[in-house]
Amino acid sequence: MIPLLLILIPVVSAILTFFLKNGNAAKNWALIASTATLIVGLYALCPVCKLEFDATWLPLLGSRFSLSLDGLSKMLVLLTAISFPVVFASTYNNEYKQSNAFYGLMLLTQAGLMGVFLASDCLLFYFFWELALIPVYFLCSIWGGEKRIAVTFKFFVYTFVGSLLMLIGILYLYFQTPDHSFAIKSFYALKLSASQQNLAFWLFFIAFAIKMPIFPLHTWQPDAYEQSPTAVTMILSGVMVKMGIYAVIRWLIPIFPSATVKYADIIIIASVIGMIYASLIAIKQDDVKRLVAYSSIAHIGLMSAVLFSLKTIGWNGVMIQMFNHGINVIGLWIVADAIEQKLGTRKFSELGGLAQKAPVLAILLVVLAFANVALPLTNAFVGEFLMFNGLFQYNFWIAGVAGISIILGAVYTLNMVQKIFYGQTVPATQNALEIKGNVQFVLIILVLVIIGFGVYPQPMIDLTKHIHP
Amino acid sequence: MPIQYYIYLALSLFSIGVVGVLTRRNAIIIFMCIELMLNATNLLLVAFSKMHHAVALASNTATQVGIEGQLFVFFIMVVAAAEVSVGLAIIVMMYRNTHSVDINFLNRLKN
Amino acid sequence: MNAIILSALCGVVMMFSGILLKNKSAIKYVAIAALLVLIIGNLFQFYGIYTIDIDSKGLLSFDRTGLFFNTIIFVATLAYFILSGSDIERAGPDVAEYFALIFFVLCGVTILTSFNGLLMFFIGIEILSIPLYILTGSDKKNLKSNEASLKYFLMGSFSTGILLMGITLIYGATGSFGLQSTTIKSAVTGFSSAGILAPVGLVLLFISMCFKVSAAPFHFWAPDVYDGAPSVFTSFMATIVKAAGFFAFIKLFAAKSEDFGPGPAWKLILFVIIVATLFIGNITAVFQQSVKRMLAYSSIAQAGFMLFALYSTNDFTKDGILLYTAAYSFATIGIFSILTKMEDYSLDGFNGLSKSQPVLAFTNTVFFLSLSGIPLTAGFFAKYYMLASAIKGGGSLSLVIIAVLFAAVSVYYYFKVIQAMYFKEGVAATNTPITGNFKVALIVLAAIIVILGIYPTALLGFYYF
Repeated sequence: MIPLLLILIPVVSAILTFFLKNGNAAKNWALIASTATLIVGLYALCPVCKLEFDATWLPLLGSRFSLSLDGLSKMLVLLTAISFPVVFASTYNNEYKQSNAFYGLMLLTQAGLMGVFLASDCLLFYFFWELALIPVYFLCSIWGGEKRIAVTFKFFVYTFVGSLLMLIGILYLYFQTPDHSFAIKSFYALKLSASQQNLAFWLFFIAFAIKMPIFPLHTWQPDAYEQSPTAVTMILSGVMVKMGIYAVIRWLIPIFPSATVKYADIIIIASVIGMIYASLIAIKQDDVKRLVAYSSIAHIGLMSAVLFSLKTIGWNGVMIQMFNHGINVIGLWIVADAIEQKLGTRKFSELGGLAQKAPVLAILLVVLAFANVALPLTNAFVGEFLMFNGLFQYNFWIAGVAGISIILGAVYTLNMVQKIFYGQTVPATQNALEIKGNVQFVLIILVLVIIGFGVYPQPMIDLTKHIHP
Repeated sequence: MPIQYYIYLALSLFSIGVVGVLTRRNAIIIFMCIELMLNATNLLLVAFSKMHHAVALASNTATQVGIEGQLFVFFIMVVAAAEVSVGLAIIVMMYRNTHSVDINFLNRLKN
Repeated sequence: MNAIILSALCGVVMMFSGILLKNKSAIKYVAIAALLVLIIGNLFQFYGIYTIDIDSKGLLSFDRTGLFFNTIIFVATLAYFILSGSDIERAGPDVAEYFALIFFVLCGVTILTSFNGLLMFFIGIEILSIPLYILTGSDKKNLKSNEASLKYFLMGSFSTGILLMGITLIYGATGSFGLQSTTIKSAVTGFSSAGILAPVGLVLLFISMCFKVSAAPFHFWAPDVYDGAPSVFTSFMATIVKAAGFFAFIKLFAAKSEDFGPGPAWKLILFVIIVATLFIGNITAVFQQSVKRMLAYSSIAQAGFMLFALYSTNDFTKDGILLYTAAYSFATIGIFSILTKMEDYSLDGFNGLSKSQPVLAFTNTVFFLSLSGIPLTAGFFAKYYMLASAIKGGGSLSLVIIAVLFAAVSVYYYFKVIQAMYFKEGVAATNTPITGNFKVALIVLAAIIVILGIYPTALLGFYYF
C-alpha cells in the first residue's frame, strides 16, 4: 500500500491543483501535498512494513500494476520525496503566471518519477518513464527562458527517440519470455544468446544514456537547464538524471550481463571523456546555471563509469552518490536562483563581494561547494571514496584520468565561490540584502543533511545492501 | 477459340485504357478510358466463365460451374452505370464553373 | 446482416426526412437517432440477441471481429455527428442528403467487414466510394472542392478498374471468387504462362487497395482531395472511410497473401511500401503550414503504421487494427471538429488558443498527443500493438526501428500545433461561437482517449468477453 500511496498522493493532488483558481492556494496545496508524500516516503524507510503492491492492469498483454521498494528504490524515492517540498519551499516567493497549472504539472512529474523508481513491471516502468517527461516538456516550454520552445523541443525529441527505442527493446524481451510477461522476474530469468543481448542492450542503453546524459548524447542538457525555470532545473538535475542511472542498475545490467561486460570499456571511456570535457567547459563558464549544468554532466559521467566497472564497492558508492548529488545540486541551484532573483544576473563577471552583504548565504554556499567537491566530512566524500575505490580496482589509468576531473571540479567550484562572494563589491551587489527566511531555512536543512551524512554515513551504506528486485 | 486470344485482347484493351488515363488531359476522355478498362474486364470475365464451364461440363453435364463469372459481369455493369451518373454530374459541375473539361485547368486556376 | 440492412434503410429515411423536415437541426437529430438504432441493431447481432437472417448463399459471413469493427465505426460516426453535426448543416443546402450519403457509406463499411468473396468485396468498395465522390464535391461553387471531387472520382474509378482486372485474373486462375480458394486450376490450357495469372491478379488487387488507403507510392491524390474537400467531410473520409478500407485490405490479404508464393517477396514489397509511406507522409507533413494539409499528410503517415497489420499476421494484428481504428478515428474526428471552428486553418491561426478557448486547446492537445502515440493516450497502445505484432513476427526489427524514428518525426509536426496553442502569443479566432455542449462533447471524447490509454482492456474486453 505504501508504494501506491507514493504515486497516488502526487497524482490526486496534481489533478486537484489544476482546479484551484487561486495561485497562492495552489502553491500552498502543492507544498502540503509534497510534504505528505515526504512523510510517507520517510515511513517507507522502516524495515518491517509491507513494501509491495500488485494489481491486475492489462491481463491481455501480460502486464501487471506491480510496485516494489528495495534499498535502491528507497534511496531514490527518498530523494524524490525530499526534493519536491524543498523546491517548492525555496521558490515560494517566485510568482508564476497560471500557477495552478505550474504546480499541477510539477506534482505530475513527481508521480512519474516515483513510478519509475517503484515499478517492477517493465511496461509500467515505460509508462512512468514517459509520464515524467511530458509534464516537464510543458513546464519548460511555458515558463522557461527566451529560447525555451526550441531548446525544450530538442530535449523532448532526444528523450522521446530514446524511449521509443527502449519500447522496442522491451517488446523484444517480452516475446522472449516463456510466459509472455513484463514482470521484472521474468526478464531477469531470461536466457538470451549473445547476439540477442548485444542488440537489445543498445536499444535500452541509448534511452538511458540520453537521460543521464553520457557523452556524446549530452548536447540537449546545458541548454535545457539554462532555459528551464529554476524550480524545474532543480528537479531535472537533482532527480531526473538519476532515472537513467537507476534504470541501468535495475534493468540494463541484470538483464544483459554479458553484453554489459562486452561494451563496458566503450561506455566507460565515453563517460570519462565526458567528465573531462564537461569539467573543462565548466571552468570556462561565466554563468552560474551553465556551470552547475556542466558540473552535473561531470558527476553523472563518473557515476556511469563506475557503474560499468561492475565492482560491488563502486556500486554502493554510486547509490549513495545518487542521493547526495541530488541534495547538493539542488542546494547549488537554490543559491543560484536566490542570486538571480535578488540581483537580476547570473554572471560571475557582474558579481563580487556578496559575502559582506549576505554572510549567511556565503557560509551555506561554501558548505555546498565543499560538498560538490567532495571534501571529507561532507556527504559526497563517502560516495566518491567508494566510487573511486571501485574504479581503481577496475583500471588504474582510467581511475587516474577520472581523478583529474575531481581536481578540475575543485577549480571551477571554488573559483565560482570566490568570484561571487569575495573580493570587492561591484555595483550590482552594492545594495544586496540577506536571503529570505524560507530560503535560509531550506538551505540550512540541506546543509544539515550534508554534514550529517558526511559524519555518519552508516545508514546510507546499510540501505545500499538491500537490493533484491 | 483458345483462351489466350481472349486474354491477349482483354489485356490490350485494358492497357489502352490505362495509358489513356495516364496521358490524356480531357476529363471526358479519361472517363471513357476507364470505361474501356471495365469493359475489357467484362470480356475477360465472360471468357473465363465459359472456359471453366466447358471444363466442368466434361465430367458433369448438369454443372452450374462458371455461372458466377457472368453474374459478376452484371454487377460490374450496374456499378459502372452508377459511377457514370455520379462522374458525369461531377464533370458537368466543373464545366459550369470553369467552362472547360481540361483537368489541368483547375490547377492553373488555383495558382 | 442487421447493420447492412439498417444502414441502407437509415439512408433512405434520411433522404425522405429532407422532404418532410425543413428545420436543419431537426434533421441532425433524426440522423443521430437513426445512428443509435443502427448501433443497437448491430449490438443485437454481436451479442446474438436477434439477427435478421437472409440467405446470402455464402457471399457474406459475419464474425465477431467484423461486428465489433462495425460498432467502433458507428460509435466514431456518432462522435462525428455530435461534434461536427452543426458543420454539416453549414456545409450546404442539402443537409438531409449529406446525412443520407454518410449512411450509404456506412452500408459500404458493413459490407466490407463481412464479405466472404471477391464479389461482395467489390460491391462494398463501390458502395463506400461513390457517395464520397459526391460529398467531396458538395461545395459546388468552390473550385478546390470541384478539383478534389474530380480527382477523387477519376482516381477512384481508375483503381476500381485495376481492382476488377485483378479479380478477373484470379478468377481465371482459380475458377472461383471465394476467399479461400488457393488451388490453381489447370484449366487455363493453351496459355503458355498460365501460372502467372494469379500472382499478377493479386498484385493488381494490391495496387488498387494501396490507392484506396493512400499508401505510397499511390498516395498522390490524397493530400489534394483531403485539402480540397469541405473540412467536415475530410474528417469523415480521413478516419472512418480509411479505417474501413484498411480493414477490408487486411481481411482480404490475410486470406490471399499465400497465393503470392512463400514469404520473402511479399514481405519485401510490404517493407518497401511501409517505409515509403512513412517517409513521404511524415517528411512532407513537416513542411506544411496549413493544419488541414498537415493532417492530410499525417493520415498518410498513420496509414504506414496501419500497414503493419498487413505485414505481420498474428493474434496481435486483429486487436491492433481495432484499437488503431478507435484511437486514430476518435482523435482525428476531434481535431477536425475543432479545426472547422477555426477562422484560420494555418498554424498561426492556432496561436494563443489556450487563452481564448482553454477547453478547446486542452482537448486538442490530448488528441494530438494520441496521434503522436504518447503513453496515457489511446494512440500509444495502437502503436504498441502494431510494433508488437511486427516484433512477434520476428526478423523485422529494422522495420520497427525505422517506424519509431518516423514516429519521432511525427512528434515534430504534431507538437507545432501544441506549441502554437500554448507557447505562442496571439488571438486565435473561431468562426462561430463555441457552445457549451460542444465543449462537453469534446471533453467526453478526450476522456475516452485517455481511458483507452490507461486501460485499453476497456475496449478489447468487449471484444473478448
